[in-house]
Amino acid sequence: MVKNDNGQLYTIEGFAAGLIMVITAYLVVNATSVYTAGDTHINDMQLEALGSDALRMMDIPINATESDNRHSDLRTIIENSQFDTFRIKFLDYTNESGSGPGHDIQFNASYTCRDDSSNDVQSVQMVNSRNLTGGEHTVRSTKWVIVDIGCPPEASRERAVLVEVLLWRD
Amino acid sequence: MARLNDDAQWIVLMGFLVSFSFFFLALVINQSTIVGQTTAESVIEFSKNDIRDIRDVIITNTTLSNLTVINNDITNISLSCKSAVVYYNNEDHFIHYYNGVTRYNERNWTV
Repeated sequence: MVKNDNGQLYTIEGFAAGLIMVITAYLVVNATSVYTAGDTHINDMQLEALGSDALRMMDIPINATESDNRHSDLRTIIENSQFDTFRIKFLDYTNESGSGPGHDIQFNASYTCRDDSSNDVQSVQMVNSRNLTGGEHTVRSTKWVIVDIGCPPEASRERAVLVEVLLWRD
Repeated sequence: MARLNDDAQWIVLMGFLVSFSFFFLALVINQSTIVGQTTAESVIEFSKNDIRDIRDVIITNTTLSNLTVINNDITNISLSCKSAVVYYNNEDHFIHYYNGVTRYNERNWTV
């Protein structure tokens, strides 16, 4: 074996340079984003905010001082059980339908009221855009609404109900 | 020992360095999963919308005739659907909200 120890320093330098290049490439590739499993919650957060905003828009009266328009859309929908109107408006507000680019959002809406005599809390199914199968990854948006309805079997009166919407993407 | 060969010690040392740096990089990547999860979860669990909504429904409906019954509605439905303890009083202008994580108290609101 020929003992030749020339160029050891060059070899070390070569390795060091290679290392620097690898680390640089690693930093550059990772600088844009590291999408981890936990980041999916950010999408949930945005979906929940979208649902809350849509419900809030529906619960704002057109003109609170006019007797014809002083009740919000959401109140009128619940009082008259116009649940198809709810579906149309909600899908419109969440950009699922209507003009422009659409989302792929599905929802299931219900409201909860309280029977004053027995203090029972009961939920009433309103409408959905697709049946829940249990496999969906849903988020929940809610809105308090003052409505004048009966909460079976109790008679009609002005009451506070909680509208709950489960939202999910296909 | 037949023959001691002490060439290329630096290369062996560099090899160790590289392997250790990979080990620490793996540790950092491992941590990043937990960081993203806890941050997003704590944001989604913070009951900002709930508190805003309940405050809104209380202070914009102070002129209804059956406020006591509506007070019971809000208190009971909050407890059963939201797991949140809500107490409010229209005379004292006081709202208390607590869902086990977030506590909110407001006194002397003005409409």
